[in-house]
Amino acid sequence: MSENAAAFRSTTHPSRLVPGLPLTLGYTLFYLSVLVLIPLAGMLFKTAQLGWSDFWQTVTDPIVVASYRLTFTASAIAAAVNGVFGLIVAWVLVREPFLGRRLFDALIDFPFALPTAVAGLTFSSLYLADGWIGGLGRHVAGSINGVARLAGFGEVLSADALSWLSFPYSNTNTGIVLVLIFVGLPFVVRTVQPVLRDWDTEYEHAALSLGASRATILRRVIFPAILPAWLSGLALAFARAIGEYGSVIFIAGNIPGKSQIAPLQIVTKLDDFRTAEATAIGIVLLFFSLLMLLAINGLEWWMRRRERAT
Amino acid sequence: MAEELAAQTQTTGAFGNPPPSGHPLIRRVMVATTVIFLTLFIVIPVVNVFAQALSKGVDAYVRVLHVAGPPVGARLSPAERRKLAAERGQAEKTWSSIRLTAGIAVIVVPLNIVFGLAAAWSVTKFRFKGRAFLIALIDLPFSVSPVIAGLIFVLLLGRSGVLGAWASSFTWPDPFSLHWRGFAQDWWPLAFTRSFTGIIFTPLAIVLASIFVTFPFVARSLIPLMEAQGSDEEVAALSLGASGWRTFRKVTLPNVKWALLYGVILCTARVFGEFGAVSVVSGHIDSNDTMPLRIEKLWNEYNNQAAFGVASLLAFLAIVTLIVQTIVERQTGKSEMRQVEEEGTQ
Amino acid sequence: MSIEVCSVNKTFNQFKALDKVSLKVETGELVALLGPSGSGKTTLLRVIAGIEAADPGSGPILFDGRDVSAQEAGKRRIGFVFQHYALFKHMSVFENVAFGLRAKPWRLRSKEAEIRAKVGELLQLVQLQNFAQRYPSQISGGQRQRVALARALAVEPRVLLLDEPFGALDATVRRELRRWLRKLHRRIHVTTVLVTHDQEEALDVSDRVAVMNEGRIEQFDSPEAIYDSPANPFVFKFLGSYNLFHARKTNAGDAVAASPADAGGVTFVRPHDIEIRRENSDGFGIAARINHIGFAGSLVNVELARIDNDTVVDAALPAHAYKDLGLKPDDRVFIRLRNTRSFDEDFSI
Repeated sequence: MSENAAAFRSTTHPSRLVPGLPLTLGYTLFYLSVLVLIPLAGMLFKTAQLGWSDFWQTVTDPIVVASYRLTFTASAIAAAVNGVFGLIVAWVLVREPFLGRRLFDALIDFPFALPTAVAGLTFSSLYLADGWIGGLGRHVAGSINGVARLAGFGEVLSADALSWLSFPYSNTNTGIVLVLIFVGLPFVVRTVQPVLRDWDTEYEHAALSLGASRATILRRVIFPAILPAWLSGLALAFARAIGEYGSVIFIAGNIPGKSQIAPLQIVTKLDDFRTAEATAIGIVLLFFSLLMLLAINGLEWWMRRRERAT
Repeated sequence: MAEELAAQTQTTGAFGNPPPSGHPLIRRVMVATTVIFLTLFIVIPVVNVFAQALSKGVDAYVRVLHVAGPPVGARLSPAERRKLAAERGQAEKTWSSIRLTAGIAVIVVPLNIVFGLAAAWSVTKFRFKGRAFLIALIDLPFSVSPVIAGLIFVLLLGRSGVLGAWASSFTWPDPFSLHWRGFAQDWWPLAFTRSFTGIIFTPLAIVLASIFVTFPFVARSLIPLMEAQGSDEEVAALSLGASGWRTFRKVTLPNVKWALLYGVILCTARVFGEFGAVSVVSGHIDSNDTMPLRIEKLWNEYNNQAAFGVASLLAFLAIVTLIVQTIVERQTGKSEMRQVEEEGTQ
Repeated sequence: MSIEVCSVNKTFNQFKALDKVSLKVETGELVALLGPSGSGKTTLLRVIAGIEAADPGSGPILFDGRDVSAQEAGKRRIGFVFQHYALFKHMSVFENVAFGLRAKPWRLRSKEAEIRAKVGELLQLVQLQNFAQRYPSQISGGQRQRVALARALAVEPRVLLLDEPFGALDATVRRELRRWLRKLHRRIHVTTVLVTHDQEEALDVSDRVAVMNEGRIEQFDSPEAIYDSPANPFVFKFLGSYNLFHARKTNAGDAVAASPADAGGVTFVRPHDIEIRRENSDGFGIAARINHIGFAGSLVNVELARIDNDTVVDAALPAHAYKDLGLKPDDRVFIRLRNTRSFDEDFSI
C-alpha cells in the first residue's frame, strides 16, 4: 500500500514551513521516555545490581535452560512450519483463483486480532485427547493400529507415535508448537503476499521462453525474488513465538524443566517474589528479542535496497 | 504519463496472465493444502470458541454475565442458596472484568492516538538526527515479549523496584468520591472509582502495561502513509496562510483518516486482548482481572463453558476488527486508485 | 526459418485482440508489426512465441511448415525480448545471459567452460564484455536491452521476437540501437519479428512492415510500398501527419476540387506534398491565408486556412523554398497538392 502511494506521489524534502517539531517531537520523546526508556533503564539497573555469579547461576539452572530450549525449539519448529505452509498459502491466495479465496484471505489476519488467551483456550480444548481434533488423531492412530492388528502385523505405531497423534495435553509439547503455528501464521503470508502480488509475470515468461522448466523457474527465478520477504516473515514469526505467553500457558503442561516456556519461568519467579532471578531470565530473553529485531531490520533494509535497485 | 500508464495496464491487465504454475494436479493439491491448513488452524478454532460457549445452551451462555436473583417468594434450601450466590458472584466478577477492560481501553486508546499522531508528524515531516533510532524505538514493543513488558514495570514500580519507594506510597485519589457517585458506580466503566495506594497490582499498572504494548499501532499505521504522501499539501496550505493546527485538521487528518482508523482498531483489539503484560502486573487480584485474565481464572476453575463465554465476546470483537479492517483496506485501496487515476490523466 | 500464422483469433474477456490474422514471414527476414496500442501487435507476437495461446478454432502456427501451436514457449526455440527487459534482478549480467544455457536438462547442458565461452562471445557481440559482473540495476537502459537480446540469443533461437525493444529508451539511444540491431541482423541473419508503435522505427529497420489495427493486419508490404501507396486511410493516417480533403480528385491533374460540394470521397495529402505559390497561374490552386509559421529545423511548418471554407491546411516546406517565397502571416497565397491519395468515403475516422 505504502509503496504504491510512494510511486505516484512526489516525496519532496520536508519543508521548513511545516511547524510543530518542538511540540510533537517533545511529546513523542516524553511519552517514549516514560514508557520505554525509563522502565528499560530500570531493568538494566536491576540487572547490574545482580552480580555476575548470581546471574550466571540463574540462567544456567537446568530448569531455566530447559525452558529456553523448549521456547527456542518450539518456536523454530513453528516458524519452519509456517515458512513452508505460509509460502504455499501466499502463493495460492495470489495465483490460484478458487471459491472463497477472499474470505480465506481475510481470515489470515485472525491470529493478529484474536486475543492470545482465546487462542490458547480454544486450541487446548480442540487438541486435548477428547477435543475435536485431538480425538480425531487418537481415532486415526487407534484405527491404524487396529487394522494392522487384524492384518496380523501387530501394532505398527509405537507408543511414542500414538502419544504424538493423540496430542495428550501434558505429556508432549505438540500443543505448544500448534498454538505457536497459529500465532505466527500471518507473518510469512503477509510479508510474502505483496511481493508475489507485485511480481511481474514477465520474468516467468522470459525464463519459460529460454527453455527453463517450472521447477527451475521456481527455484532460480521466483524464489530468489521472494527470499528476503520470506526470511523476514520467518524471523518475525520466530520472534513472536519466542515471546508468546498467553496462548501457550493454556495448552502446555507447564511442568518445570519439561513443558515450561521461558516467559512462564519469569512469571513463576515473579509470583515467588524472586525478582532478581526473573530479571536475569528476562534480560536473556530480551537480548534474543533485540537480536531478532536487528535481524529483521537488516532483512527489511536488504529488501528496500533491492526494490530501489530496480 | 497517461500513455505509459495505458501501456502498463495493457501489459499487466489484458496480457498479464501468469503462466500456469505447474501441473493442474499440483495446483489443486496446493489449493487443497491452503484450505485445509487454514481450516484446521483458523476456522475450526474460532468456530470452536462459539460452539463451546453455547455448548450448554443460550441460558447458560447468558448466565456467564448475569444471574438473576431468587424468584420472589421462592423457598430455597441453604445449599441452593449458596450455589446461587456463588453463581451470582462469578457472574458479577465476569461483568466487572468487562467493565475494567472497557475502561482501560477508554483511557489507553485516546492516549495512543495522540501519541501516534504526534510521533508520525514529527518523524515524517522533519529530518533530524536520531530519527531512525526513534522509529526503531517505536517498533520495540512488537519484538519484546509481553511478559517482559510487564516485568519492566514491576522492576520499576514494584515494592523492591527502582522507584519502588515512591510508587508504593503513591496514592491515586478517587475522582468520583465527591460527584455523581451513583453514575460512577453503576455506569462509569472504569475501575478508578475508588482510591488506590501503590501502582503495581492496581488498574493503573494495567493501564501502563497496556499502553506499552499497544502504543506502536497508531503510529505504525500512520508513518508509512504520511511518509509516502510527503508534505506538499501541507506546505501548500501553510503558504496560503493556514495555521499549523488548521493545516493538520483540514489537510493532514482527512488524508490519513483511514489509516488512523485502522491503527485505532488494531490498538483497541490489542488492549482488550492483552494477556501477558497485564497478567504480570495485575497480581492475580480478582478486581484487577481484565477479560483475558478472567478467562484464565475460569479455565483454572474448570468452568470451561464460562471461560468460552467470555472468550466468545473477545472472538466476536476480533471478527468485528477483521471486518472493519477489510472495509478500511478497501477504502484506502480505492482512494489510492483514485490518486493514480488523477495523476495518470494529468 | 519461416513463420506462418494462419487465421489466428485471440479474445481477452470479450475484447477481440486478434481477428483472423494471417501472416507469413520468410526465412531471415526482419518484419515489423506496427500499430497503435491495442491494435493486437504484441498479442500476435506473444501468440507466435507461445506465451499466449490462440483461441480454440484458430488456424495453425507454422515454423518451417511444422505446426508448433501445441508446443510450449520453451520448446519452440524462440528468443523473446521483453519491452521492460525482464532481466532477472538478482543475477549478474553474466548469469542472466547464461540462464538459458544452465536451464537445460542436465544431459543436454554444456560444460561450464563452454557456457563461459559462449556467454563471453555473446557479450562481445552486444559490446558488453566489460559489464559481465554488473547487476541489471547498475547498467543503463540501452545496455539492459542489449543484455536481454544477448540472453535471448544464447539459446540459439530459430526466431527472434522483440516486443517494443526500444520503447522505454530515449530518442538518441533508440536511434543508435536501431542501427545496431540492423547490423546485428545482417550478421546473424535470424528470422526476426519486431513490435513497435513508432512508424519511423518500423520503416527504417525492417524488410517488411505489417500495419495492424483493431486486431487485423491492414497492410503487409515493404516500407516503401507502405509509405507510398497505403492500402487504406488508416495506414495513410498512421504513417505520419496529413491533410484531409472531403472530396474526390476531380481530374487527372494534381488538384482537388475547391468546393466541399463535390463530396463523395476523401483525399489525403502529406504536408510536404502541399506546394505554396504566390500566383494561381494555371487556375488549379486553392486560395488560402497563412495563419501561423513555425520553424522546425530543416522544414518550415505553415498553417493555412482556406479562403472558401476556412478549413485548416498544414504545409511543410523546405527552409529555402520558404525563404524564396518570403511568406509572412496573413499573406494570401495559393496551394497545390501533389501525390494525393483518394479513398471512397466508407470508413470512419
